[in-house]
Amino acid sequence: MIEIKNVTMDFIGKAVGEPRKILRALEDISIRIPDGCVYGFLGSNGAGKSTLMRLMCGVYRTQSGSITIDGSEVWDNPEAKANIFFVNDETVQYSDFTLEALAKYFASYYDNFSFETFHRLIGTLGLPNDRKMGTFSKGMKRQSVVAAALSCGTKYIVMDEAFDGLDPAMRKMLKDIIVDEMIDRNATLIVSSHNVAEINELCDRAMLLHQGKLVFDDEIDNIRSGVSKVQVARRSGPVTKEEFEGLGLSVLQYSVMGSVVQTVVKGVGEEITQKLEGLSADFVEMVPLTLEEVFIYELEARGYGYESLAEN
Amino acid sequence: MIRLDITGRSPIYEQLCREICGEIARGLLVENDRLPAARVLAKDLGINPNTVAKAYGMLERDGIIYSVSGIGCFVSKEKAGAYRWLTEDFRRKTREAFGAGVPKEALLQILEEECGGENSPQTQGVKDDD
Repeated sequence: MIEIKNVTMDFIGKAVGEPRKILRALEDISIRIPDGCVYGFLGSNGAGKSTLMRLMCGVYRTQSGSITIDGSEVWDNPEAKANIFFVNDETVQYSDFTLEALAKYFASYYDNFSFETFHRLIGTLGLPNDRKMGTFSKGMKRQSVVAAALSCGTKYIVMDEAFDGLDPAMRKMLKDIIVDEMIDRNATLIVSSHNVAEINELCDRAMLLHQGKLVFDDEIDNIRSGVSKVQVARRSGPVTKEEFEGLGLSVLQYSVMGSVVQTVVKGVGEEITQKLEGLSADFVEMVPLTLEEVFIYELEARGYGYESLAEN
Repeated sequence: MIRLDITGRSPIYEQLCREICGEIARGLLVENDRLPAARVLAKDLGINPNTVAKAYGMLERDGIIYSVSGIGCFVSKEKAGAYRWLTEDFRRKTREAFGAGVPKEALLQILEEECGGENSPQTQGVKDDD
């Protein structure tokens, strides 16, 4: 299990001609990533996903809070780090490597590195063994690092923008490989993606980050059932936002058309139905949200999205 | 054939349960047929193997399938559970329509028209759509 406890991370930023200021990348993040699952990192651009991944892999040192892998602090701890592989979204550092050199490089860090697995994977992927990676396309670079990741035999694999730059056939192949890794080795994967549908089909659990803060962290099915779109009609006049809130419902979105109100509220289906009984409404309809809608509404409620952009 | 709507509103494990129940109701999966291993189905459908395991767990809980440890999951004899999964939406819609004021006779008439008082087309061959 990877346990992240109360992690806060600041960077010092300095724009041209301006004094230094503190940029808070992460604020009091606590999550647990259980073994044998696929865990998704969702978030708006610049939310702190990559920063958290780098902290988890010991690339950055935690300033406050702690990150442990199976109970051991990860920073400056080769034993803990031997259990985790980080597929960075940057590959420029490998430009001068051939795939053979890349394999040797990772084999020097990971005792369990399997050249056999690596050669099998690059064979399947059809990657050239004799060219420098600088000459590869973006997708090929990514495939190479993923092949290396899977050859290291680590218990945890962290992939930043896992599917970025891969074509649909390669995405499919990568997903198949992930399934095998989970079943054969009980591997745990942590992936970040902007593609919410991909997170939905691939992950057991996910978390949403926004401006360095944790919005939620739960099983995918709980996340989706935790927010509902509700339509309520009342002939005597539309139900006001305050009325919903008076029933103890947290309202993420609210709009009125005549006597019909459409709203997005937090809570589990039956719980909401029970609470709405007190409204003497003529018609109530409820639909569960897709993960994509949860993402959009949660961020909209925090002032992020199309409408707030239009106002500025 | 199992079809999932990955971007849809109902959870993937629920969709998977319904699809399997559909195969059972249609007679495409029969008693003691073996269900594909989680690995195989997960790859076919492009989903997480834990999701397949969750769906199989639900179906087993409802007595629709049974598992033999180390071998796999098999279809049970009893189909009632599968029918329950497939008629859940129907039941909900009926409750809604009845609640909205549609009289019982009108609901029964729909049943009569749709089912024609006959057995399900699955048990008598191909249905003529008109």
